[in-house]
Amino acid sequence: MSDYALNQVLYAKAREHKMIESIGADEVAGYDLSAEERAALADGDLDALFRLGANPYLIRRVFRRRFAL
Amino acid sequence: MATIVAAAMTSHAPNITATPAAAPEQRGHFLAGLAEMRKRLAAARPDVVVMFVNDHVQNFFYDNLPAFCVGVGARHWAPRGAADFLKIPSRQLPGAVDFGKALLKAGLDAGFDLAVSHELEFWDDVSVPAHFLMPEGTLPIVPVLTNCVAPPLPTPQRSWQLGGFVRRFIDARPVGERVALLGTGGISHWIGVPNTGHINPEWDRWVLDQVRDGHGEALAELSFDDIERDGGNGGQEIRNWIAVLGALPGVKGEVLTYEPVKEWLTGCGAAWMQL
Repeated sequence: MSDYALNQVLYAKAREHKMIESIGADEVAGYDLSAEERAALADGDLDALFRLGANPYLIRRVFRRRFAL
Repeated sequence: MATIVAAAMTSHAPNITATPAAAPEQRGHFLAGLAEMRKRLAAARPDVVVMFVNDHVQNFFYDNLPAFCVGVGARHWAPRGAADFLKIPSRQLPGAVDFGKALLKAGLDAGFDLAVSHELEFWDDVSVPAHFLMPEGTLPIVPVLTNCVAPPLPTPQRSWQLGGFVRRFIDARPVGERVALLGTGGISHWIGVPNTGHINPEWDRWVLDQVRDGHGEALAELSFDDIERDGGNGGQEIRNWIAVLGALPGVKGEVLTYEPVKEWLTGCGAAWMQL
């Protein structure tokens, strides 16, 4: 598990050019993620993703709809 | 030798085009500044535009992430995948292959270990400024990318030195092109981080004051932490301005516009260098 894997998940989603609310367990099978990282993706938890080392630009691109602005 | 005939810097932000109805008054002011920049750029009749820009993790990921990269392709997507979101039709801007390859070679010879890309896809970094400044899409560009988004980043001082190198390259170039320099990014913005949407107009005005007064060195002396604190993670893109300023030490600038636009999540400035 590493922030590299977390960013891999977000990068793959970003390349699909979709704005989504969450990334569920079925979509991250095969990625070496911690339980905390999986939960942050499933919840679309912006602060947790940032704290866990997700790139802010990828967080923004994938979970844009979750931002107040 | 080639000649620098124009130099300018502007902010970029996706919402400038993605949400065109937002902040109409500020949008009008900012776009008036870009319209003036477009007029001056056209009047300078450049043959090529060296664009100091940054990737937003669309070309470069953590598997292969250059600090600096020069685009030598014959064409550059601006935009492609982001077209729907940016509300800018997908198009390709012409590259300047020979110029780009010569810049790459000269950089390596001079100790600037530039990476190289033959195919780049741009987002708001190039697409939005080009939409307003080069709508015809006929002017060849050579993108010079700096990692401003995935720390650790190259120092602002190195961006200043990079600009100085590009200046020496242009001065020594055997072909007599008319060259424009354009840096895009900044000024302050916090994006994708817990305080997303914050803007620091006080810092933005200080940055613009340094540009106006020909004090680019003051920007080059900033540290990553200085910028992160006062300009936010998006403020790190000021490296692209610093590269332009490093090519023109002591030259004063004219601020064409400044608007801290909440709806664009960005302190948006544009400045023209008085060559």
